[in-house]
Amino acid sequence: MRGFLARRTAALGVTVLLASFVVFLIPYVTPGDPVRKIIRSQVQGELVDESAVQGLTAELGLDDPLPVQYVRWLSHFVSGDMGLSYTSRTPVIEHVMPALWITLSLTVVTLAVAAIAATALGTLAALREGRLTDRVITALTQALIAMPEYWLAPVLVLVFALNLSVLPSAGWSGPSSMVLPVAVLAIRPLSHFTSAVREGMLDALGGEHVLAARARGLSHSQTVFRHVIPNGLLPLTTLTGVWFAGLLGGSVIVEVIFAIPGMGRLLYDAVLNSDIPLAQGGVVFVVVLAVVLTTAGDLLHAVLNPKMRNSHA
Amino acid sequence: MRSRTALIVAASVLAVVVLSVALAPWISPYPPAQQSLAERLAPASPTHWLGTDHLGRDTLSRLLEGGSFSLAVACAATLLTAALGTAIGVVSARRRGWIDEVLTRTSDVLLALPEMVIALFVVAVLGAGPVSLLLALAVTGWTPFARLARALAYDVSSRGFVEAARVLGCSPSFVVFRHILPHLSGPLLGQAALRFGQFLIAVGALSYLGLGVQPPQSDWGSMLASAQPYAARSPLGVLAPGLVIFTVALCVTLIGQHLAALAGLRTLLSLAPSRRGSDV
Repeated sequence: MRGFLARRTAALGVTVLLASFVVFLIPYVTPGDPVRKIIRSQVQGELVDESAVQGLTAELGLDDPLPVQYVRWLSHFVSGDMGLSYTSRTPVIEHVMPALWITLSLTVVTLAVAAIAATALGTLAALREGRLTDRVITALTQALIAMPEYWLAPVLVLVFALNLSVLPSAGWSGPSSMVLPVAVLAIRPLSHFTSAVREGMLDALGGEHVLAARARGLSHSQTVFRHVIPNGLLPLTTLTGVWFAGLLGGSVIVEVIFAIPGMGRLLYDAVLNSDIPLAQGGVVFVVVLAVVLTTAGDLLHAVLNPKMRNSHA
Repeated sequence: MRSRTALIVAASVLAVVVLSVALAPWISPYPPAQQSLAERLAPASPTHWLGTDHLGRDTLSRLLEGGSFSLAVACAATLLTAALGTAIGVVSARRRGWIDEVLTRTSDVLLALPEMVIALFVVAVLGAGPVSLLLALAVTGWTPFARLARALAYDVSSRGFVEAARVLGCSPSFVVFRHILPHLSGPLLGQAALRFGQFLIAVGALSYLGLGVQPPQSDWGSMLASAQPYAARSPLGVLAPGLVIFTVALCVTLIGQHLAALAGLRTLLSLAPSRRGSDV
């Protein structure tokens, strides 16, 4: 277990460092001189004074070797100084933190809804394997994987906001504004979770310990609740970690459609406005969270399932 | 038998869509860019089967024209990532050692990163357009192929006929092309079909956000985005492009799942239908 933990933690550190280096390089690989971009964002005029360019280059330390610049950037970054947003001239961290909370709450609610619904649907399908209930649930979950979010969202808005007027069409104010975004976001994880739970339950149902439990005289429902469901839900732990990571970035579309001021929206606006410091801050946060959460999901799986610990997965 | 019927239906629908998109210049009822401001946001009618958009352009003609961009980029992304991923996976499995370790770790890392954020990042660096769209999809897109190809190549490499070929003095590249790749083709084809569906949705998503196709060109995603402000007056403009993306993605996914099931990949592809009975 300790070796597993050490391996995963080391991999996590390397990933975060690599990702941060790539993000650090953004302004160097994008067309145009970053110094000119900064000056142009400060003075609104078209002409850029050459002496100002040289002065700022030296002042920002941009004539230092790249590794030196990287270490300086990283140490600033870790201490919370991510620079100023080009468009609003306010610290990036002040934009990132509130956006992160909104996206996190959206993600947590979505995954909770998806996991609960998938547990019910997947268990039901597995217990009725091959019958009509199973076939309907399986067909629906397989179809939902092909559903584009940018289509489902406008359709739901059309029905529930414009025609029935029961839910707000966009914005971020109170629980009712969360219903439609969560419904759209939950579709894909629900589809994945349901088939994973169904598979897990089927494997658990065929296990020898289930046969032994029945032989000991436990009733069918006792066996299902005590021996099948706990084992059948194991795949959900890893999947939830992966999806947590996926949803933090995958919510770009949904946040844009529903005008939710979260991380997806922030990154989208940053890219559209070429607001490089904001994009850097947002991407680093999302990547670190994604990697940490994926690792956490794997560790949770290892804690719950001893077979995982010695594998090299 | 039931799944066979579904497969035939899916393949036929897919063939009809691809054919009509390919034949668009000849079968389009109107020139797709032709505006007729008198007929703005018209509902479905015998003259305009799917109505018109906010500039009076025929929705059906625009769907047929826009399909070529969506399908071509998704197809190119699938081919590119399949080739790249298979090559990486096979090299990993054959070389093992540190090359395998580095390649596997890289794909694990990429798999952990949110796909859409990477795509935004690539578009931010390179600017919007079909080439950066393709790259944005390829940066993370090769990993599922690499995982599958590596696992299968590992498995095949330990079989007797590969060992025999090696002992008989066949060169490593001959062994790979003659003995290993043919064993990978079935499962990889299934994977490719599943990925094509996901790429099609992703291309639409990026175009919807204005980061994919650039005006005056249009595709299904950008049509959906431009029709959305008028959704209340003319719902068909939003429904039609989304329904086409959904239908095509669903058809290729069904075909992919069928191919995956044929290749016996229950565990490797999470959504493949289960084949139980043999082990119980």
